[in-house]
Amino acid sequence: MEFPLLSLIMFTPVAGAVVLMFLHSDDAVRWTALGVTVLDLALSIAMLASFDTTTHAMQFTETHPWVPALGITYALGIDGISALFVFLTALLGSICVLASWVAIDRKVKEFMVSLLTMQALMLGVFCALDLFLFYVFWEAMLIPMYLIIGVWGGEGRVYAALKFFLYTLAGSLLFLIGVIVLYFNGGETFDILALTAQDLPFPVQSWLFFAFLIAFAVKVPMVPVHTWLPDAHVQAPTAGSIILAGVLLKMGAYGFLRFSLPMLPEASVYYSTLMLSLSALAIVYGGLLALAQDDLKKLVAYSSISHMGFVTMGIFALNLRGLEGGILQMFNHGVTTGALFLFVGLIYERTHTRSIAEYGGLMKAAPVYTAFLALFTLSSMALPGTNSFIGELLVLSGGFAANLAVGAAAVLGALLGAAYLLGMYRKVALGPASVGARFKICDVNAREMAAILPLAVLVLWVGLYPKPFLGIIDVSVKHLLAQVHDKGSGP
Amino acid sequence: MTAAALFQSALASLPEIVVITGACILLILGQLVRRGQEYFLVWASVAIVLIAALATLILSSEVRPAYTGMFVADRFAVFFKFVFYLATILTFLLSRKYADIEGIGSSEYYVLLLFALSGMMIMASATDLLSIYVGLELMVLCTYVLTGFLRRERRSNEAALKYVILGAVSTGIFLYGVSLVYGLTGTTQLDGMAAAVTGDPLDPGLLLAVVFIVAGLVFKVGAVPFHMWLPDVYEGAPTTITAFMSVGPKAAGFAVILRVFLNPLVAASDVWIIVAVIAVVTMALGSFVALVQDNFKRLLAYSSIAHAGFALFGVVAGGADGIASVMLYLLIYSLMNLGIFATVIMMRNGNFSGEVIEDYSGFAKSRPGLALLMLLYLFSLAGIPPTAGFFAKFYVLVALVERGFVMLAVIAVLLSAVAAYFYIRIVMVIYMREPERTFDPALTPSVRATLAFTALGTIGIGLFPAWFLRLAQNSVFGG
Repeated sequence: MEFPLLSLIMFTPVAGAVVLMFLHSDDAVRWTALGVTVLDLALSIAMLASFDTTTHAMQFTETHPWVPALGITYALGIDGISALFVFLTALLGSICVLASWVAIDRKVKEFMVSLLTMQALMLGVFCALDLFLFYVFWEAMLIPMYLIIGVWGGEGRVYAALKFFLYTLAGSLLFLIGVIVLYFNGGETFDILALTAQDLPFPVQSWLFFAFLIAFAVKVPMVPVHTWLPDAHVQAPTAGSIILAGVLLKMGAYGFLRFSLPMLPEASVYYSTLMLSLSALAIVYGGLLALAQDDLKKLVAYSSISHMGFVTMGIFALNLRGLEGGILQMFNHGVTTGALFLFVGLIYERTHTRSIAEYGGLMKAAPVYTAFLALFTLSSMALPGTNSFIGELLVLSGGFAANLAVGAAAVLGALLGAAYLLGMYRKVALGPASVGARFKICDVNAREMAAILPLAVLVLWVGLYPKPFLGIIDVSVKHLLAQVHDKGSGP
Repeated sequence: MTAAALFQSALASLPEIVVITGACILLILGQLVRRGQEYFLVWASVAIVLIAALATLILSSEVRPAYTGMFVADRFAVFFKFVFYLATILTFLLSRKYADIEGIGSSEYYVLLLFALSGMMIMASATDLLSIYVGLELMVLCTYVLTGFLRRERRSNEAALKYVILGAVSTGIFLYGVSLVYGLTGTTQLDGMAAAVTGDPLDPGLLLAVVFIVAGLVFKVGAVPFHMWLPDVYEGAPTTITAFMSVGPKAAGFAVILRVFLNPLVAASDVWIIVAVIAVVTMALGSFVALVQDNFKRLLAYSSIAHAGFALFGVVAGGADGIASVMLYLLIYSLMNLGIFATVIMMRNGNFSGEVIEDYSGFAKSRPGLALLMLLYLFSLAGIPPTAGFFAKFYVLVALVERGFVMLAVIAVLLSAVAAYFYIRIVMVIYMREPERTFDPALTPSVRATLAFTALGTIGIGLFPAWFLRLAQNSVFGG
């Protein structure tokens, strides 16, 4: 019996949430939540430190029977791909607490409990090695997220929360049917690894591929099922947006990596062109929509759609560079876009407007803020030296290798990205100080700095020295790719 | 019948005898209870049910056929009887304060509930169309009266009248089907029917008879096309009775449906299509009409129609897993539905009815604990993990897919996404609106106990479904 590190990482936030229930002062709640998430982060770093990067086998595994009559187990374990996202989730957890320190001023306790529950469930999704367990975590996330958007969100929060809920629910329910069909076709087991080893006939794979696709595409989100995302992002509180962009959107892509590719290799190869085209569409369409936005948060939300297009493109390029780039881009998007939402939240707390037209000349009033904003903006448009450059370069080279036209479309999307991001930065930070005249702007304080710095470090670290990060995923990705190409050589 | 056989039969039906005798005694004692002493009635009723439960448990070790094949005490019946006991006891616990507020503190209320319970118990054990009929009528006659128990309220009277008339018609249809079966096969015993049907499965007269029997039974569970009475009756009846009816009689109806359809008529394969269509239409109608309801009780009525539809999917799946899935579904549904009804019942206080959904605006602000409970029940009804409601649906879907009905499973989940909308809408009202008026819920210790028990069940079965699943699987008849 190994030390149950993953359970510990997962249940630390749960235990924290229980403790919070008994606290009365808001400040005590905040500090405890911060303590718990930092502890969780420390645990996840310890996990990374003892992670063996030379094997693709699942590590830190735990298995306990849960519903033996149906072959359901409580099974946890991670490979390189999940390890990266366990770390990202834990990191964004503490940042979310910091980001909501003053932004959330009512029902603080309930908010932090939701946040910690959410974190536990997200960690569960990345750690689950049992399909049923995975589904339970995947679906249970709807409850705290619905509350986070709907209770603490902006004006149109109720509509946005409901839309988010119904879109994801409808998608997930089809996934559930897919899971059950897979269960009966794959030897009546929910064990993800055992199911991966199965060789399903192509028609079954094909059906399952689309059942899964609907669920994952809603989460990613891919065009045309993306419309819940801008609403949810705009209405969600800052922490909610960070979670959405940082982790929740990754779940869809993670689903492709964990289920579609290894379990349905033939279908994945067969439909890869379709997936690449949808990705290219998302990149260009999301970019064009972002170009037209005046609401800062909407702009970042639409840019997310575009950036997630790069991720799915990398995945379905089905070659090593594409896959590694896609996964790295998932991580990068979590860091960079999470940071951008944090920045939007910071400026919104000070000015109570998100309209880009009302900003201007922030550089004078808040030099530190604008300096870091510049870093993350540049990272978002994938300037060399930042994290996204590495990821996007890998994706593009993988994409071009897979399909010339799709690669060309992605380049166009990257150009669009430069256009709307630079435009945004110019209007917000440069020029005459229009906001400063009307609002009292103070620069970032120490607490906000604590939230920003780790993300900034990651941007530069991955940008300048990506080897450790690629090293974590490398073996697992190669193994995944081998699985796809061994079994998926055409129907 | 020899003395030994009679003794065996009496032993097999001991729980029913306990409940009926107890109800009779209570009827007499009830006249002696002074005003303000009504709690005696509650505890006496609970005690009777507990004794019956004990008897059931002791006798559950073996299968006991009784009354020359009209009645059987098997594990299937035991499972259902425990669902009934659960529903009845929780209804008793909820009733005391509510009866006080509504001024219906007479002993007949408890006696009728006990008689209804005995009717349901007979239904679960019946293996003959006639004994099914006896149990059915005993149960519905009591619920007719209970529905009209708010004598001063017009809608309660109206509901009772509507229920009686439509119920009588459905009973007539059912009896007509029974007489056809008897005429064609010469038997009313389910086993005898099975033999007859296997011999000549294509007899159109028999199919007609089956359709009539289906119609009669479908009425009792409130499935389309015999659902029209349900919202009105649910709305008009005292809320405690609504809670009871949505759980107990519904489960009893399903017990009979399972026995009738999965035992003898397997050969008459056309019936599957009928049941499948009924399941789809029932769920669709329940889910879509519930979307536009403003009255909480009416919404729950439509939600119960939708849930009946979902459980019927389990009947369609058939086989051991199908039967077990329906049983587990009904157990879980009983817990979560009684839970949500308990929260509605406790709202009835002073001149506050708690029946309009808008009344719950901002409930989370004034009563965070109770709001959290409602959230739990509502998400469970919507079938979101890790609540028990999810596992109930999941297992029905497993049974469906196992039998190859993937399309039906897809329809079922899409419709449950629709259904999720109106549960979530209530959560939205509770959590995301500003409060308009203050609440003073009628929380007594027994209501608290009910809430705690149902909440524990809803979350407990969700997290640890293994034991309950095994129980349901072991209780399937013939398995």
